[in-house]
Amino acid sequence: MTLQDVLLSVVGLVAVAGGVAVVTTKQLVRAGLWLVVALGAVAVEFLLLGAEFAAWVQVLIYVGAVVVLLLFAVMLTRAPIGRSSDLDRPALPATLVGAASGLGLAALFVGVFGQFQVPAPAVGTAERIGDSVFGAWVLPFEVLSILLLAALVGAIVLSRPAAPAPQDASADAVAQGSSR
Amino acid sequence: MSIPGAGLGKGLAVTLKTLVTPSTTQQYPDVAPELPPRSRGVIALREENCTVCMLCSRECPDWCIYIDSHKEEVVVPGAARPRQRNVLDRFDIDFSLCMYCGICIEVCPFDALYWSPEFEYAEYDIRDLMHDKDRLGEWMATVPPPPPHDPLGEPSKEETAVAKRASAS
Amino acid sequence: MTWDVILRVALVAVAFLTLPLIVGQTEHKVMAHMQARLGPMYAGAFHGWAQLIADGVKFAQKEDVTPRAADGPVFRLAPAVALLPYLLVLLVIPLGPGDLVGQQLDVGLFFVLAVVGVGVIAVLMAAWASANKYSLLGGLRAAAQLLGYELPFVLSAASVAMAAGTLSLPGIVAAWQPWWLLWQLPATIVFFVSGLAEIRRPPFDMPIADSELVFGYLTEYTGLRFAFFLLAEYVGIVVISALTAALFLGGWHGPWAESVGWLWMLLKTGAVAFVVIWLRVSWPRLREDQLQRLCWLVLVPLALAQLVLTAGVRVALG
Repeated sequence: MTLQDVLLSVVGLVAVAGGVAVVTTKQLVRAGLWLVVALGAVAVEFLLLGAEFAAWVQVLIYVGAVVVLLLFAVMLTRAPIGRSSDLDRPALPATLVGAASGLGLAALFVGVFGQFQVPAPAVGTAERIGDSVFGAWVLPFEVLSILLLAALVGAIVLSRPAAPAPQDASADAVAQGSSR
Repeated sequence: MSIPGAGLGKGLAVTLKTLVTPSTTQQYPDVAPELPPRSRGVIALREENCTVCMLCSRECPDWCIYIDSHKEEVVVPGAARPRQRNVLDRFDIDFSLCMYCGICIEVCPFDALYWSPEFEYAEYDIRDLMHDKDRLGEWMATVPPPPPHDPLGEPSKEETAVAKRASAS
Repeated sequence: MTWDVILRVALVAVAFLTLPLIVGQTEHKVMAHMQARLGPMYAGAFHGWAQLIADGVKFAQKEDVTPRAADGPVFRLAPAVALLPYLLVLLVIPLGPGDLVGQQLDVGLFFVLAVVGVGVIAVLMAAWASANKYSLLGGLRAAAQLLGYELPFVLSAASVAMAAGTLSLPGIVAAWQPWWLLWQLPATIVFFVSGLAEIRRPPFDMPIADSELVFGYLTEYTGLRFAFFLLAEYVGIVVISALTAALFLGGWHGPWAESVGWLWMLLKTGAVAFVVIWLRVSWPRLREDQLQRLCWLVLVPLALAQLVLTAGVRVALG
C-alpha cells in the first residue's frame, strides 16, 4: 500500500459517494452539484494515475461545461429550493440495474486484470496524447469528429424556427426581406 | 462613412484625457472652498443702521424675518421737544424658511443687511436655524468688501472710503 | 524539495492576497480621476492607500446574513468556490525566465482554462441558493455568457499554444517572439475580450447589472462572503491580465530579461489591468442579445480564422 493507493481509494470513495448522492438526493439542483463532486473526484483519480491531460479535459468539459449546461437547464425549470416531493424514481429497478452493472464490471475487471501487474504508463503529457490520437487512433478520431459535426448540424436544423408555408416565391422573398 | 468602433475609441480618449487633467475637486473640510464673489452664504445684520422701518420684513417672500421694537424718547439738547426713536428689540431670521432671494438686502434703505459668504451654520434641529440679532451681528465680521463692478475699472466707493479711513487713522 | 514547494506556494498566496488589492486600489484611483474626481483620500493618510484594508475591516464587521428561504450550505459555500479556481491558476503563471513560476505544469494552459471555467459553478450556486429572482436571473445570464465565451477563450488560447508548440505556460513564454504581437493580434483581442466576459467585468457585467438586476447573483450576499466575491473579481482581473501578458505580450521578455524579467511580467500585467479598468470606466454595458451576437458572430469566427492563420504560418515556417 503506497500513499498513492490510499489516495486512489479515498478519492474513489468520494466519487462513488458523490454519484450515490446524485441519485438519492431529493433536491433537484443539489443533484447537479453532487455531480460536480463526483466528476471532480474522477478528475483527481486521473491526476493520481498520471494522466494529467485527461484530468484537465475532464474538468474543462464535464465540470466546466456539461454540468453548467445541466444546472442551467434545471434552473430554467421550476427547480425549487428544498425537497421536491414529486420526484418519481424507480428506486428498486434502478438499484438492481446499477448494482448489477457495477458488480458485473468489477468482477470482469478483477477477473481479467486481477493477476497481472500492469506497469504504470508514463505521464500522460499532451505530446503523448497527441501522438496516439493523431497516429494510431486517427481514423476513429476523424469518424467521431464527423459524428459530432453531424450532431451539431442536426441540432441547428432542429432548432430553426419552422419555415412559413410557401405560398408563392415572391411573397416568401418579401417575408424574408422584412424579417432581416 | 464612419469607421466602425470610432465611438468606442472616442470614449476611451475622453476618459484618458480626463485622467491626465488635474481634478478640480476641493477637499472641503480640510481646505476652505474658494467661493465666487457675492456668494450668498448668510444674511448679516448691522444693528446700528437699522431703523425698524420693517421694509425687509414686509418684502420677505416667505415671511422669515421677525422684528420687534419699541419707541424711546430722545431728548435732543436745543430742540423744541424730545424726538422719538425706534429701538430694535428683536431681529430674527428663520433660515429654515429663508430662500436666499436677497430681497431684504436689496430693499434695506439704510444698509443694515449684507450678504456674508459664511455658510457653515448647519444645525441638527430645524428650530435652531432661527438666528437672533446678536448672531446676525457676529456675521458682519465676515462680510467682504464689495468687489469692483468692473475688474479693470476704478475701485468701488466703499473700498476707497475704507482705505482712506485706514490711512487717516 | 518540500521546503521549495512550501516557499513557492507561500509566495503565490502572498501574491494572491496583495495583487488584487493593488488592482482594486488602482481601480479606485484611476476610475476617480477618469471621472474628474479624486477618489479615496483619507484612509491611510496618503491618497487613501489603505482604503481597501478599511473596506475589508468594514466587511468583516458586518452581519453575515443567510436568507431564511436560501439553501444554506450551498449559499455559504459559493464564495469559496468562486475564489479557489483563481488561486489555483496563479500557481502556474510564469513570473520570470527559468524556474520563476509557482508550479511547473506540462499542460499548464489546459489547466488554466479548465480551472477558470469552474468559476461559473460558483455563480450558479450563489444565484440559485439565494432564493431571489434577481439572483436567479443574474445566474442564468452568467451561465449563458460564460458558456458562450468559453469557446473563443479556449480557441484563442489554442492558437498561441499551436504557435509555440507547447501547452506549458513557461514554454509558451519562452517560445514567444516580438513579431508574434502582429501574427497573434486577432487572438490577443479575442482572448482579452472573452477573458473580460469570463470574469464578468464591465462592459460584460450583465450578470450583475445593478441597474437592471439589483446586484445579480450577489444580491443576497453580505459581509465577508460578499467581500470574497469581490476579491474573486479582482483576482480575476489579475489572472486575466497576467494570462494575456504571458500568452500574447511575451511575459518576461524585454531588455535585460535575465535579471529583471519578473519586473517586465508585472509591468505588462499591470498595463493590461489598467486597460481592464479603463474599459470599465469608458464603455456602457452591452445588452444581452448584443453580448451573444458579439460572441458567436465576431469572436468565434475571428478565433477560428486565427487558428487557420496560425496553422498556415506554422506549416509554412516548417
